[in-house]
Amino acid sequence: MLALRLARGAHPLVLLRRLLVAAASGGVGFLLLCALAYALTHPGDRTAALLRLSWCAIPLAATVHFAVAVAHTDPSTRPRTGLSAVGLGPGRLAALAAASTALSGALGSVLALLFFLHLRGDLTGLPFDGAARELLAAEAPLPLAATLTLLALVPLTATVAAALALRGRDAARERAPVRPPGGLPWGCALTTAGLAVGTFTARAEKAAPLPLPKEFGAHPAGVLAGWALTAVGLAFAGPALTFFCGRLLQILRPGAVRLLAGRILMEESHRIGRPLGVVCAVASAVITAWALYDTGPRPFGPLTGLGAALVVACTTATLLTAVAQARHDRATATEELRRLGASVGTLRLAALLRAAVLLLVFAPLTWAVATLAALPLSR
Amino acid sequence: MVDPPDSDVIEARSLHHSHSGSPALIAVSLRTRRGEVLAVHGPRGSGKTTLLRCLSGQTVADEGEVWFDGDPVHTLSPLRRERLRRERFGWIGPESSLVPELTVWENAALPLLLNGAPRRHAKAAAMEWLERLDIDGCARRRPYGLTRAERQRTAAARALVGEPAVLFADEPTAALHRADRALLLRTLLAAAGSQRTTVVLATHDTEVAALANRTLALVDGRLTGSPDGTDAEGMAACSLSV
Repeated sequence: MLALRLARGAHPLVLLRRLLVAAASGGVGFLLLCALAYALTHPGDRTAALLRLSWCAIPLAATVHFAVAVAHTDPSTRPRTGLSAVGLGPGRLAALAAASTALSGALGSVLALLFFLHLRGDLTGLPFDGAARELLAAEAPLPLAATLTLLALVPLTATVAAALALRGRDAARERAPVRPPGGLPWGCALTTAGLAVGTFTARAEKAAPLPLPKEFGAHPAGVLAGWALTAVGLAFAGPALTFFCGRLLQILRPGAVRLLAGRILMEESHRIGRPLGVVCAVASAVITAWALYDTGPRPFGPLTGLGAALVVACTTATLLTAVAQARHDRATATEELRRLGASVGTLRLAALLRAAVLLLVFAPLTWAVATLAALPLSR
Repeated sequence: MVDPPDSDVIEARSLHHSHSGSPALIAVSLRTRRGEVLAVHGPRGSGKTTLLRCLSGQTVADEGEVWFDGDPVHTLSPLRRERLRRERFGWIGPESSLVPELTVWENAALPLLLNGAPRRHAKAAAMEWLERLDIDGCARRRPYGLTRAERQRTAAARALVGEPAVLFADEPTAALHRADRALLLRTLLAAAGSQRTTVVLATHDTEVAALANRTLALVDGRLTGSPDGTDAEGMAACSLSV
């Protein structure tokens, strides 16, 4: 109940973030229900149904990632000394954050179910009712247990992930300076391994190495595993690369702007590096897909489009949320700089420099990974 | 300094300010002279911080005027006020909010770096001040892990490094123990004296206030001392030759 009451008084931006989580959860719920509908209409085609279901894992992972980031940023559940004094310590607040995550997720799932039933023609009275009657197996009755299980998947996973990620936070404790993140060797190894796995699978299966959900009867497992390894590798390497970008900004006698920009980037590397690596992986996958299917007939159905849009939106939103949180955490230092007379222009220039150097390092990396991943597939 | 010795550096004329309805300053007028140490003494919540913020151009008072070196501050644009703070004023708060990402010497050199001074020159000046404040040993460390006294001394170095015309010290020793307090204040005031820097020192501590040339008492946003600076004790009573 407290989660609801706090949500009522929350800042519009916070509510918007939670609504985005609800929307993402709804999108994934809808995709899962569509996979279920496919299984209902094609009872004999087990592989294809499984393939569709397994493709849902990527948007699911992106949504959970985003939900955890939003729970982390939520100001109403951030540990505060005042609340801690009245007994709402970090533990209770983690539970509260988990509850509001569950709430957003459940809202999304309910909306997904309503939308699904509406398109099937089970709910009438609105435009487009029954618009996708055949596609969504309107003839077959919907199995209750399967539907509930699929719809509970996102809220449950997100809630557990948020609770695990938020436990043990402490109020207003000063953070130790960041040590250089050591994920670069692991990141390089995993990314290379991912690219290698993708290449080998593509060589082994000449016909359709990367079957999208619409193409039946093929195993995307190898390519998918390769892609997942690459994504994990980039996520591992992200913080180290961001840290390196910070270093890069400070070479050759930095003045105030470059010094501040570089140090802040180094300090934020652990926070924004990982989502940045994930965004990098997603962007490279999009570029790869574009390069592969640019010439031939595109097998993108509306559901594939929805899934891809969900993944792109969730990972980008996660990165933006992480940036917003990092900015919020620096609020006192920023205030002190302003008191010293640092102009808004100086601080903006420092922020711009950070963005520019990140773009300069990560854009070629994304492009390189995309090109390497597309190389064996396009043959 | 070419100014006549009794010229007003900072002058406030009937400042009124309120925080969302609750009055913080009521008709406050004061003058400070060059090289003077002026203590604003009052309990917590009496409006000391607000007064210092208004005088240093961080806040523009609802009513009233602030003049610095014969020029109005209250009519300046935010950008010009920023520049004034950067180039002519220094500030020490109750808890040194150093920039956590920078090392001690970089924090101390920050005002010079922000003014576009060459790095080598800024570093030399910062190191000199850190030496004077006896914390040059941790110049390469980050604020994390430093004691409060060390941080506050770093903040003092940062406030003094630009050789400001006016140093605003808002309860600079409130969080320190007695020994550290005396050392910091003495160094601060001696350094300010050697640069002929005017110090506006806000404090709730009578012992601290006693170190000043002149003390104004602020109670519930009203000044109860002599506002015109014609205090007989004046500079002669200065016990800050340490």
